[in-house]
Parts: sequence; structure tokens; C-alpha cells
Amino acid sequence: MNKLARWGLLVITALAVVAVAAPWLSPHDPLAVNLPEALLPPSPRHWLGTDQLGRDVLSRLIWGSRISLSIGFIAVGVAVSVGTVVGALAGYFGGWFDSVLMRLVDTLLSIPTIFLLLAIIAVDPAERLLVFTTYPVIGPFTTLLFQWIDPRLVVLMAAIGLMSWMGVARLIRAEVLSLKTREFVLAAYCLGASQWRIITKHILPNAIGPVLVSATLGVGGAILTESVLSYLGLGVQPPTPSWGNILNEGRVALGVAWWLTLSPGLCILVTVLAFNLAGEGIRERLLR
Amino acid sequence: MTSYVVRRLVSLVPVLLWITILSFGIIHLAPGKPTDLAMQFNPRVSLEARERLTRLYGLDQPLHRQYLDWLHRVIRLDFGRSFLDDRPVIEKILERLPVTVMINLLSLGLVLVIAIPLGVLAAVRPHSLFDRATTVVVFLGYSMPSFWLALLLMAAFSVTLRWFPVSGLLSLAFAHVEFWDLIQHPLTHLAAWQDVAWHLVLPVTVTAFVSLAGLSRYTRSSMIEVLKQDYIRTARAKGLSERHVLFKHGLRNGLLPILTILGLSLPDLIGGSVISETIFSVPGMGRLFYEAVMARDYPVVMALVTIGSIFTMLGNFLADLAYAYADPRIRLSRETSP
Repeated sequence: MNKLARWGLLVITALAVVAVAAPWLSPHDPLAVNLPEALLPPSPRHWLGTDQLGRDVLSRLIWGSRISLSIGFIAVGVAVSVGTVVGALAGYFGGWFDSVLMRLVDTLLSIPTIFLLLAIIAVDPAERLLVFTTYPVIGPFTTLLFQWIDPRLVVLMAAIGLMSWMGVARLIRAEVLSLKTREFVLAAYCLGASQWRIITKHILPNAIGPVLVSATLGVGGAILTESVLSYLGLGVQPPTPSWGNILNEGRVALGVAWWLTLSPGLCILVTVLAFNLAGEGIRERLLR
Repeated sequence: MTSYVVRRLVSLVPVLLWITILSFGIIHLAPGKPTDLAMQFNPRVSLEARERLTRLYGLDQPLHRQYLDWLHRVIRLDFGRSFLDDRPVIEKILERLPVTVMINLLSLGLVLVIAIPLGVLAAVRPHSLFDRATTVVVFLGYSMPSFWLALLLMAAFSVTLRWFPVSGLLSLAFAHVEFWDLIQHPLTHLAAWQDVAWHLVLPVTVTAFVSLAGLSRYTRSSMIEVLKQDYIRTARAKGLSERHVLFKHGLRNGLLPILTILGLSLPDLIGGSVISETIFSVPGMGRLFYEAVMARDYPVVMALVTIGSIFTMLGNFLADLAYAYADPRIRLSRETSP
């Protein structure tokens, strides 16, 4: 693994630590409004200054890392799961099944992502998710879930994930197509292994490499997407801090308080860069 | 070749149908009704008036009926009327289309002119200082939110240094000029064109910088592969100039995968317009889309998704054609195969 990729992994680890330890690391309450101290420039008391409502920017960034990183990881989790299932089924079973699924992939790839994302999020399906809390059996669980995270955040993560599984599906399908003709798969088949077993135990573990690369790159992409949606006012809703909406709130005061725009942007830049470098590093490692 | 072109074009039709069904479904799931907005301006509107409006727009029909009606009109290029100002959708789009197309073509041109030579030069000596330097710049561009870069450039060059205008497409002095007029009579509007160029510097730079990364990376890796081939050694052994070897023998082969990438990057380019046009307040299709989504202006949203997707598919199609054109092996095998 090259030096840059190691640096990337180091940054990712550090960020994960910050996100987990946010309650102990953040010097102030990220939500505490303190109007007399609004728009203060960086100082020893507020390292990165304060925003229009006098909230400490550093604390907001530290707490925001939780939201931004979770969005990145969960959206990629959704994308990889959907992509793996679709790609494996299409590649393994082939025929008309493959054609239908791959036409769907082509279709989704032809629509500019941001168009669909905007349309989905503007539709605001969050209210409808609340229906699940009234169902038997899953009701109590979903109630608990929605107490823990905002349903709108769930929609955001799912939407970003559902817009980015197509690449993974194509990768997995290509891998499966080449793997399913290999001797060890034929051997498993001859030994009477079930199709489920062949797919999950023999084919997928061997196709994991390229997926790992695209997942790593995908986390960065999802964090960027969240920031773009926040900029359009459709991302994480205030007062919950995410890097995207801190940046968006700072935009209004760009002329008088540059620190509000610079610091969240740098956080996004460094994080996404770290994921991209790590992804490239893993790719080079796999090719060797 | 002709039969191949026709076959490809025909195969685009079902994809297009799927796209319209998908986006029609999503946009009509929205809880808000477009009539709500009309009501907001006049809360005392009677229930009958609201129903009349609903009927007028066909919103009382079942969804599949609405879709078929819509499709039936679209085939004749009638995208309906905007819910917001009752103007024909096609008219609203046509007045904004040239701006977006112009910005995207300019940045695409800029990207090609910069990214390909960068990638080739980086591939000549991989892991050299030049390669590493361009990699860093390219990765930075790839990893930053484009609107953040736009904000920083605006703060530096428009607000502080006052080199470029902050936003918009034309200064106040040219506010009366229609953009279509500019296109039809470029010579009589030279001053206005100069003004437009001035306004476009930052948006085009931002759009180009962000998409520079992917293309130059792909050029680099593709060229590294190509330069390892035997025919490159042969070309060098024949005593051809390095320039000739790199750009005639190398690049022509290295460009093939890049064409595909270029086709695939079109949706991002069109999607990117939403962001750059909102931030620089450029009156293009991207901003129109954003405004239409926010106002639940279904006819405009549907028309833009459809037109955006058609552009994307045509882009992919052109990339495929260019691919076949650049590589005789593909062209020939397709002609001989049944």
C-alpha cells in the first residue's frame, strides 16, 4: 500500500475516533444558541469561531462528523447490498432475467442523478415512513429507530444509496460471469451444492475486491452528495449539524465571516480525499 | 454501419419509456398538490374553483391515465403548460436550453483540452514529480464540493478583487437583451457577448475543474497500458519522433476507453448544471429544474427529466459511434456479424 493511501486510512481512522468520541471532544454544546457571541472570528475560546447564532463551529463540526460519516457509510451499505444482490442474480442466472435487470441499470444510469435525488427528496416520503410504526411486530422497533434517528435522515441515506448501486451491480455481474465458469464453481456444482451455497460461499467471496474499492470511493461520493443536497436546502435539516448544512448556513455570511465557509468545506475535502486515496491504494494493491 | 446506427437508436426507445414512467411515478407520489400553490396566493378560493383547477390539469384522473395522456402529447413535442405561470413548457425550456448547452460545451472543451494532455504527459513518466503533482491537484478537484469551490472563487475574485461579476449572465446594462437574440445576431451584440463571456469565466472554470479529475486519471491509466504495447516499441524503433509516437500511435489507442467515460460523464455534467447555475444564478435548465421541483411544477420537471435523459442517451450513443469510428476492428466485426 502506498504512502498516500496509508495517509488516507490514518485520516479515516482519526475521523472515526472523533465521531465516536464527539461528546467528550467537543468543547461546547453544538446546539447552544448564544446570540451575544454571534459571528466571532477564531479565538482561543472558540478555535474556529462562532456562527450567526453564536454556536461554536468546532463543536458543530465534531458532532457533524457523526452525521456526515454515518450518511457516507450507510448510503454505501445500501448501495453495496442492492448492487450485490442485483449483480449476482443477473450474472448467475443470465438470460431474460439478466436483460431486464441490466436494462433497469442502464435506465437509472441515463437519468442525471441529481435530478432523481431532488425529485425523491422533494417528494418528502419521511411522513409516510411513520406508517411503519403502527404495524404489528415491526412497529415497536421502527418507533425506537425513529426516536434514535430522524426519519428524514433515513430517507436521505436511503435515497443516496439507491442512486448509486448501479456501478456495484455492473461490477459484481462481470465478476460473477467470469467466476461461474471456473473449475472450483463447477466442482461445487458437481458435489451437489445448492445454488444459494454456490453464490454465497464460492462466487461472492471471490468478487469482493472490486466492490471494496468502489465502496471506499463511494463513501466519499455520498458525503459530497449530502453536502450538495444541503446546499440546495434538501439535505440534513437544521439544527442537527452536518458538514453540508454548516457549510450552507455559513454561505449566507460569506462576506463577513469566511471561517464559517472555509472550515466545513475543508472537513469535507480532507475526508473525501482520504477515502479516494484509500480506495486508489486498495485498487493498486488488488491489481498487483 | 447504418443498420447498426438504426438498431442502437431503436434500442434507446424502451429505455426512454422506462425513464419517463419512473420519473412520472416519483414526482406524482409527492404529498403536496400543485393546486396548493395556486391556493396559497388566495386562501379564500372556493372548493369548486379548486376542483375546477384540478380537473383542468387532469389531476383527478387515475395515474396511468395521466401518464398516457402526457405521453400522447409529448410525442407531438407538447410538454403542456407550466403550473406556475401557464406558459408552454417547451417555450420555458427553449429560452434556457442554449445557456446550459453553451456552458456545458465550453467546460467540456476546456476539460478535453487540459485533461488529455495532462494524462498523456503523466503517463509518459509514471511516478515522476510531474505525475505526482498532477495527481494531487486532480484528486483535490475530485474531492471538493463544487459549490464550495464556487463560493471561495466568488469570495476571492468577485467580492474581494472585483475581477469578475458575482452572478447572473448579463449585467444590468444589457438586461433588456434576450439570449436568443444574442445567438441569432451575434455581430450586432458584440458588447453583450463580451459581458456574457465575463460572467461565464467562474461558472465554466468551476464546472471544468471538478470534472477534470476523472478524465485525466482515466487518460493516464489507459495511456500507461498502451505505452507498454509492442507496437509502441516498434514505432520508436522505426525512429518516429516522440510526439508522433505518443499522440498518433499511443493516444489513438488510449482514447478508446476515454470515449466511453466521456459518454458516461454526461449525466453528471447536466446534473452539475443544477448546482453551478443555482450558485451563480445563471438562468439555465439546471436552475429551472430546481425551481420546478420546489414548486411541484410537474410538467416542467417531467419535461426536463425527459430532455436531460435524451441528451445523456444521445451522448452515450455518440460515444459508441466514435468508438466504432476510432477502432476499425469494432466497426468491421459489427458489419460482418449478423
